[in-house]
Amino acid sequence: MSVVYFVVQQMMLFSIPLLIVALGAMYSERSGIINIAMEGIMLMGAFAGTLFLKFTDGTMSGQLQLILAILISAVVGIVFSLLHAYASINMKADQTISGTALNMFAPAFAIFTARIVQPEHVQQVQFTNTFRIARVPILGDIPVIGDMLFKNAYITTYIGFVILAVATYALYKTRFGLRLRACGEHPQAADSVGVNVYRMQYAGVIISGALGGIGGLVFVVPTSTNFNATVAGYGFLAIAVLIFGQWKPIRILFASFFFGLMKTIAASYSGIPILVDLGIPSYFYKMTPYIATLIVLVFTSKNSQAPKAEGIPYDKGAR
Amino acid sequence: MKRNRLTSVLAAALATTMAFTACGSSNSNSGNDSSKSNDTTTSADSKNEESADGYEVALVTDIGTIDDKSFNQGAWEGVEKYGEEKGVSYKYYKPVEKTTVAYEDTMKLAIEGGAKVVVCPGYLFEQAVYDLQTEYPDTKFILIDGEPNDGSGTYKTAENTLPILFEEDQAGFLAGYAAVYDGYTKLGFMGGLALPAVMRYGYGYIQGADYACEELGIDSVELKYNYTGTFTASPEVASAAAAWYQSGTEVIFGCGGGIGNSIMSAAEDANAVMIGVDVDQSSESDSVVTSAMKLLSNAVYDGVKSYFEDEFKGGETVTYDASVDGVGLPMDSSKFKKFDEKTYEDIYAKVKSGEVKIDNDVTKEVTGIETKHVKVVVVE
Repeated sequence: MSVVYFVVQQMMLFSIPLLIVALGAMYSERSGIINIAMEGIMLMGAFAGTLFLKFTDGTMSGQLQLILAILISAVVGIVFSLLHAYASINMKADQTISGTALNMFAPAFAIFTARIVQPEHVQQVQFTNTFRIARVPILGDIPVIGDMLFKNAYITTYIGFVILAVATYALYKTRFGLRLRACGEHPQAADSVGVNVYRMQYAGVIISGALGGIGGLVFVVPTSTNFNATVAGYGFLAIAVLIFGQWKPIRILFASFFFGLMKTIAASYSGIPILVDLGIPSYFYKMTPYIATLIVLVFTSKNSQAPKAEGIPYDKGAR
Repeated sequence: MKRNRLTSVLAAALATTMAFTACGSSNSNSGNDSSKSNDTTTSADSKNEESADGYEVALVTDIGTIDDKSFNQGAWEGVEKYGEEKGVSYKYYKPVEKTTVAYEDTMKLAIEGGAKVVVCPGYLFEQAVYDLQTEYPDTKFILIDGEPNDGSGTYKTAENTLPILFEEDQAGFLAGYAAVYDGYTKLGFMGGLALPAVMRYGYGYIQGADYACEELGIDSVELKYNYTGTFTASPEVASAAAAWYQSGTEVIFGCGGGIGNSIMSAAEDANAVMIGVDVDQSSESDSVVTSAMKLLSNAVYDGVKSYFEDEFKGGETVTYDASVDGVGLPMDSSKFKKFDEKTYEDIYAKVKSGEVKIDNDVTKEVTGIETKHVKVVVVE
């Protein structure tokens, strides 16, 4: 059983950042704006967050510090995503190109700034990880679930689930969510009944910026001891999760768990006795995530649920 | 329409990743220039304004940065040390991409910028040095971790070239010996790619562990051996290391740039320890029990110094090993329980005198390394 708990705990390292970032991208795309810039936004969020962790090291308790860092990452993510919003909403630029530009800008900016602001003038932002929770009081004693989710965990896992709950509720059960979705499907129709399309699209992109920034920090903190101007392509993977999840929150949850589980098995099978004893070549485990993705996409892509109007700049005059 | 969208997203993602890598490096270049290098070069420059026409000592990085906590940094420290001590002007150059052509262009740029000695850290420069050593016979080349060749098996070291190799296997040996001596019986080795330097570290590590077993009469040491296939930190590496720790591995020798950081992170989570590589990595994490070091900066310093003192001995490969204190463990910052300074000196003396023989033949697979007591489990 301990192997199962271990796999679930490890899976969260992969799944939670993917979940958060994919939900962010979902808000942007459901409002009609393609957001390819998630990679860059993650990077900026991770950069700002780790820089904060570094400079406030030892001045406050671990969890408080992490929560503040998450807020800072979110704010920086928002500011960065506003560039994308301005280009694609006000300037009606090609959204893929605008996103690509931000992706190219982010790592360069992070390296440049890290070298300038850090006293030792290096590009790596080193931080001390004091955030792991060995066991959550009370909840950690629950059999099975306690072992899976409430031991060796990070507070970010729970934040991820809270974000999921809020995002689902806001998208389907609020007036805001309905209007946002309408803008992604048929902005002219939404406009004709008095919805401010530009404002909705700005809201979508801003939410994606906040969640992308948070996702970046959540990605880096448990998996390294420094931030080296990269999030290893997880922003793109999150967009794949979004498509895999058909732009729907609960499906995105499953998609991110699926990716996370596959990646965990591929990475850690050598420490799992049952899998080692099977004697299957390691290449098999390494290719499973990709083969499984291909197969699933073959069966689901026919009924793609992509927002109808996404990627098309909204033009008030067009009918 | 639907399918088009998917492909366009994927295509854009791909294009971005590519643009990304290209831009990342060229931009970080400007980052370098504006911060660290300028500070140091100008300060060195001002010391000997009159004599200097350009920068006399040049370091060309292999795409990495001079603060990569590894190769480029070690070499740069040697250059910097000599430059500051003797008031010689120095500068580093960063090629735009990781190709022999780009290396050659950058080296030419350095030579035109006045470089009399060009330091090339890494085996990636082998071909570039091979080409330029005849083209620029008046310039001295110091090549770390490689020997000039044309890429298809023709080796030639000209009089103006000094190749420096390290006996990484000795550093790995010391680390493996120390780990077993300190009471660890379940060891791990994670290398980046199966490159000669990485392999020598690994092979030495295995034999060091085996030697300690022999001495102490232990017979149940297990060693997991793996090449991760990458030199960057990623959740994959962290997760793999976490899985090893979870299944009983007590110490992992992390041998390959950024993957060390992911192993440190996993070690911290598991309250376990790891062994750093190349330079003393103890400042990066409390989980670093020791580091298998090669004293790169000493080698570069000596090489540069020999030129300015008219003692440059080109044409032949120099090997830095224990006999010239070219490799070692940082005992001051190591966190051993039983393996103390005296034991270290004893085993170091044995390595130095050649009393212990280390098999560092990288044409062999790891399975070809003979062990008497250590059970090596190769993880593919």
